[in-house]
Amino acid sequence: MQCNLCEWRCELSKGKTGVCRVIAAQDGEIRELYPHRWSTYGLAHIESIPFYHVYPGSQSMVIGTLGCNFDCSYCSNAYVAKEEPALLADRFFHLQPDKLVDIARKIGCHNIVFNVNEPTVSLPTLVELSRAARQAGMPLGCLTNGYMTEEATATMAEIFSFINISLKSITDEFYRHHAGVKGVEPILRNIRSLARTTHLELLTPIIQSVNDGEIDAIADFIASVDPEIPWHVFRLLPEYKMKEVDYPLVEEINARLETARQKLPYIYFHNFVGSLWVNTFCPRCGTTVIERLSLGCGGDRLLNYLCPGEICPSCQNPIRILGQRTEWNSREVG
Amino acid sequence: MAIALFDVRKWQTTVDLRTGQTVNSDSRQVNMMRSILDRHPYPGDVNLESNQWVTDIALNLVEEYQPGFVFLSYSQLYFSRRFSHLPGEEWQQMVGHVFDEIARFERESGFQALVVGSGEMVPLKGYIDLSQLDGVATASNWSTTYAGVYDPSPADLEYVQSHPHIARVVSQAEFVSHFHNGEDIRPHLPDFLLMAREGYAFKALSASLRPLANLTAWNHSIPVSDNLGEVETITEVRPLIEANFRTRKTALVIVEGIGSADFRRSHQMSKNGLDWHFYEPGEGQFLALTTGRHQLFSFPPGYLYYPEDGDSKEYPFSSYFDQLPEDTVAQAYGGKSIAVGNRSMFMHMTSGANISVECFSRGLYNHGNMAVIGDGA
Repeated sequence: MQCNLCEWRCELSKGKTGVCRVIAAQDGEIRELYPHRWSTYGLAHIESIPFYHVYPGSQSMVIGTLGCNFDCSYCSNAYVAKEEPALLADRFFHLQPDKLVDIARKIGCHNIVFNVNEPTVSLPTLVELSRAARQAGMPLGCLTNGYMTEEATATMAEIFSFINISLKSITDEFYRHHAGVKGVEPILRNIRSLARTTHLELLTPIIQSVNDGEIDAIADFIASVDPEIPWHVFRLLPEYKMKEVDYPLVEEINARLETARQKLPYIYFHNFVGSLWVNTFCPRCGTTVIERLSLGCGGDRLLNYLCPGEICPSCQNPIRILGQRTEWNSREVG
Repeated sequence: MAIALFDVRKWQTTVDLRTGQTVNSDSRQVNMMRSILDRHPYPGDVNLESNQWVTDIALNLVEEYQPGFVFLSYSQLYFSRRFSHLPGEEWQQMVGHVFDEIARFERESGFQALVVGSGEMVPLKGYIDLSQLDGVATASNWSTTYAGVYDPSPADLEYVQSHPHIARVVSQAEFVSHFHNGEDIRPHLPDFLLMAREGYAFKALSASLRPLANLTAWNHSIPVSDNLGEVETITEVRPLIEANFRTRKTALVIVEGIGSADFRRSHQMSKNGLDWHFYEPGEGQFLALTTGRHQLFSFPPGYLYYPEDGDSKEYPFSSYFDQLPEDTVAQAYGGKSIAVGNRSMFMHMTSGANISVECFSRGLYNHGNMAVIGDGA
């Protein structure tokens, strides 16, 4: 039986799990081995996840499960994503979707965002969660590596209101060498598809001297899909197998972004404390329309929302925002 | 205006610590700190060299800024042991390394250190899962002994009161009447405070994602070196320092993650809390040491901080801290003071020193260095 969740399309013979180690065939069906198991549920500013163009200022419940279909050599959450799932499962929270949404509602969250490991490998549980969230009027979003099948992409488009895809590179070589998968094409295909149906943001972790030379090519790809897709260029602090690699130099990466800034109006360079490149400017007139603070690993947050009605106050150009500016302690969801 | 200087390796920026807004500063002290931070990138929380980083920066500041009071924290032992099972020999080497660094600081600076160990650690025995409660339960990333419960149902109370690994369930009223001594009370105290039995960690909203190996023990007392005089409780550390810094160059040094068994100096045991409550390594313990007052209500255990974390919160780079400390031992000194340590936020938010230097790390992710140059620096 072949799994149809991610592009590995693993053959799930009896007793064998997929590459992700959390999906198996049981009773003639593709099933999660650890449904409704959560590695965490916590609170975050939505900007820190990062989503910069979604319900600005809102409070998100961040969640994660276990398992991943990539083997990123620099993984930041290897202690969850790369650990043997059977060892972790008992330590994880066991919460039914209704209960999780109930907690989010009680603590005043405006939305729920999956952001620890890869959502594709927990898609059946997330489909259930989306039903409970929809009933509560609570939008659901996720971060994903984008390596899902077309069928799974369609499901994601249905259940998530906003998605951030990690486009780590534009080359097969990078994906083979640093992520352990066959190539980039399925990810590019899914970006093209989701850009038509869902609020999409992209994130590229930069490892100096590994993928910083691809910045212009990635920008060209984004521009060809939709130049107004917000793009987060992350200064990656490699962990796991690349812990000893030098950190990217801010000035050098920033200089490499100059050409891309001519093509894409919503480029952000962050994941380091004090970044000066986290504000949003009107694509038409250049007026500052959203100011943020970059707290580095402490996350980012909204500082000033200067485009009420999601319109530039200077030239009335629409600013791409999903939802509205949301006060942190507002009890209104959605 | 207190200036925060961030150094993320070959790139620096300065902000107003209170508002977070970028500011330009060209003062002599800021430029001095630019140079020092550039020379000393942070090696990482669990890297042995981070102890050396503390000493090196402190010695640079002693030479260039010439403070009369120094506050240091060495926290690498705590970070390492919390998340790793360390063989005895490796652990002993680490402990030896920290005490060697303290001795190097004393030798090269001429300061005499009063050394405090934050308390023993014990292996994790298990977790106490509070996620199924009808009310909201909060744990925290660093505190494992205490949790708060908000709006519990009768079934919740029955569950926590009968749980074999929960040692104590304390109502808000009981907590306030037992410990309150006049300080401001935060607006979101938990309805019930829970205390875990030794070796058990609460799991609930915002608990640590990283798997734990060792936890803070039930440290009702902690070691304090006896070289400068006697203390019975940690709130007596401040007056002891004050009694000494008029006659000698005195440093207060906290070594996190160790108790009496690993303390490599002649020491006395000092009470580490009030009644049944004891401090875990954290802001409460730091503030008790630096201010000489118990401050259980400044950052109460089990506290729900996030309602106060909106866009208008001041000191955005200081996590849940929202004000600078008042009436600390550094401020009482009156002359120039510094604080250096690999405990993020605590150095500038608990010391009251003129210049504070700390790593900028969160959850062991190393983003660089931070220095805070106060108004009077």
